[in-house]
Amino acid sequence: MPSLRRAALLVLVIAAGVAAVLAARVATAPQRASDAPGAVAVRQGRLLATFDLSEAFPPDLQRQLANGLTHVVALHVSLVPEKGDAPAAIYGRTIEILYDVWKEAFQVTVKDPEHPSGRQLSLAGWKELRPFLAEAREVDLAPASILGGGTWVAVARVELDPVSEELLDRTRELIANPRAAPGTDGGSPSVLGAMASYLLRAGQPVPGVHFFRSRPFTVEGGTVR
Amino acid sequence: MRPSRFELKIALALVLAVVVPLLAALWLAARLAEENLAFGLNPRVIDSLESTPALFGDLFHARKELYAEQARAIAAGLPADRSLAARYLEGALRRTPRLRRIAWLDASAAPIAEAEADWPNPEGEWREAPARATLPSGEILEAVFAIEARFFADLDEVREIAETYQSAGLLRADIQRSYVRAFGLVLVAFALLAGTAGTLLARRTTRRVSDLVRAVRELARGNLTVRVDPGTAGDEVAGLARAFNEMVREVREGRDRIVYLEKISGWQEVARRLAHEIKNPLTPIQLAFQQLEARFRASPGGDPELARLFAETGEIVREEIGTLQRLVEEFSGFAKLPEVRPEPSDLGLFVEEFLRTSPQVAEAADVEVVRASGECPVALDRALMRRVLANLLRNAEEAARPGRARIHLGVSRTQDRAVLAVGDEGPGIERDVRPRVFDPYFTTRRDGTGLGLAIVKKIVLQHGGEIEVGDRPGGGALFTLAFPLAGRPPR
Repeated sequence: MPSLRRAALLVLVIAAGVAAVLAARVATAPQRASDAPGAVAVRQGRLLATFDLSEAFPPDLQRQLANGLTHVVALHVSLVPEKGDAPAAIYGRTIEILYDVWKEAFQVTVKDPEHPSGRQLSLAGWKELRPFLAEAREVDLAPASILGGGTWVAVARVELDPVSEELLDRTRELIANPRAAPGTDGGSPSVLGAMASYLLRAGQPVPGVHFFRSRPFTVEGGTVR
Repeated sequence: MRPSRFELKIALALVLAVVVPLLAALWLAARLAEENLAFGLNPRVIDSLESTPALFGDLFHARKELYAEQARAIAAGLPADRSLAARYLEGALRRTPRLRRIAWLDASAAPIAEAEADWPNPEGEWREAPARATLPSGEILEAVFAIEARFFADLDEVREIAETYQSAGLLRADIQRSYVRAFGLVLVAFALLAGTAGTLLARRTTRRVSDLVRAVRELARGNLTVRVDPGTAGDEVAGLARAFNEMVREVREGRDRIVYLEKISGWQEVARRLAHEIKNPLTPIQLAFQQLEARFRASPGGDPELARLFAETGEIVREEIGTLQRLVEEFSGFAKLPEVRPEPSDLGLFVEEFLRTSPQVAEAADVEVVRASGECPVALDRALMRRVLANLLRNAEEAARPGRARIHLGVSRTQDRAVLAVGDEGPGIERDVRPRVFDPYFTTRRDGTGLGLAIVKKIVLQHGGEIEVGDRPGGGALFTLAFPLAGRPPR
């Protein structure tokens, strides 16, 4: 299963790249983008991006995240030329959030390049969870040396409950064998359902995508300007 | 093989016949999928499912509150005399439902007294739910209650179902599209299967129709030997092929009949002129010779040598004149064959009557007559048909020479023909000669004129009949004459 998780993560990272490129092209005035909520710095030769993502996690989101179901927050940060082109670097992080109604605490699993198999956290409540989600601090993007000249922008894309491959697979299982209870081997497979599950593709992304941009910057002499 | 236009049209018709209901079925499938998804993924149901874990949360919260209250109640009743604490805790354990373990701890968490229930939990039916009450003295009463483990199992299951339906709800439009695509693929597969099967079945018919078209074109180019295989089917196309073959056969036989009669007419004209040209000088020659012979006999004291020569040559002249006169008669007879005037008759009765009124036949040959069928009503010109029978029987007699001929006559009928068979036991007719035996002036005999069988065939054809020559089973020649039964059109 770890290999599956890595594959899912890889898919998410690639999807993030595509999304980031699209975002960069429309980034001049994205509908829900915040103005320069991000900052980029160079430390020990590496580009580190920090974003304030609080706009993506308004207070009224608490009710949704605490409903006892698993939620996923996908964060993708890309480094793109200001004029819009292929990203020079991409960072991906997924955060699975499950409110444990017995323990009355958020069980959080963070998967990122540093922890591809996941890092477990337990956060007591919304007051701890929101700051955790709202800040992407010092995201390690790439060595500063890869940027060369030109003006760059760091773009963060935050998506709540994205249509992931895992979600698609779960839905495929449901429609391939609709008589079986989810998670069991019972029922009998449906031929039409099996075909439909094979043909199932995610269409438009679900609402709930937020973009955040840093100010345009250049890297000169090992510092960001 | 390149498909014909007819095949293409049928294939197109099949495709149209399939595509129209296919589109309607696709539309229905889309509506059906939409309605089923609206029913199965009802947002209210999904909302209810999503809120179910929160209900479990409320349940757990209530249980925690209850257990905390019970712990506080037990703490409130703790005896001042600590020696009674263990008994008090054991009593509380018995009194309090779901209480599994209880401990009275001092401020440093060291146990003052504790008690534990001994009821088992072999299959993990219970999970521990701790509750704690702090005493004003800083001491702690720590209780462990049991909560049903099935709540957590149910919660996990409900959460999984809710998450599954939530994701399905998010992908509802995509699911609908995938169902329509799947349904479309199934329908297209079935349509292709039906179209292919239909085309293959139709091809069996269209190929036969194409064969018929080709045969008709061949016929139009004058090829009267063309034939279409009707196959083993009993459908209209097979019937059409059989009718076509029958039509071609009739056309061919009609043409052969016309050609033969035209040829015979030409030869009749030749015979008429020959008879005329021979007959004209023959009579003066005969008269002059008779006059010369009479004068010679009347003159007395003639030369005896001359008289002997005159007698010998006179014999030769008379014989040759007789031969020429017989030729002239035969040519004249052939040239002046009368028109057929048929009358209703019965072929079998006619044959028997002919033999009864022709005693010379029985004198010259042994004749056997077999009537295989009952009545054979035909329209015959009795005089001409007597000539036909006479010629055929004469041929049979001559074929048996120098022996006595044995002749077999058979009368029978088929569905639409009356058949007369005349067979002998002679040497038969060579196969390569048969196509010419009915040609005028063709003969294999030294003294034959070659007119007998030509006259026979002409008379038979004029009756609307046919004549064939072949081998008689057992040896000899067999002439088969077929006439249309009365009341049926001649071929």
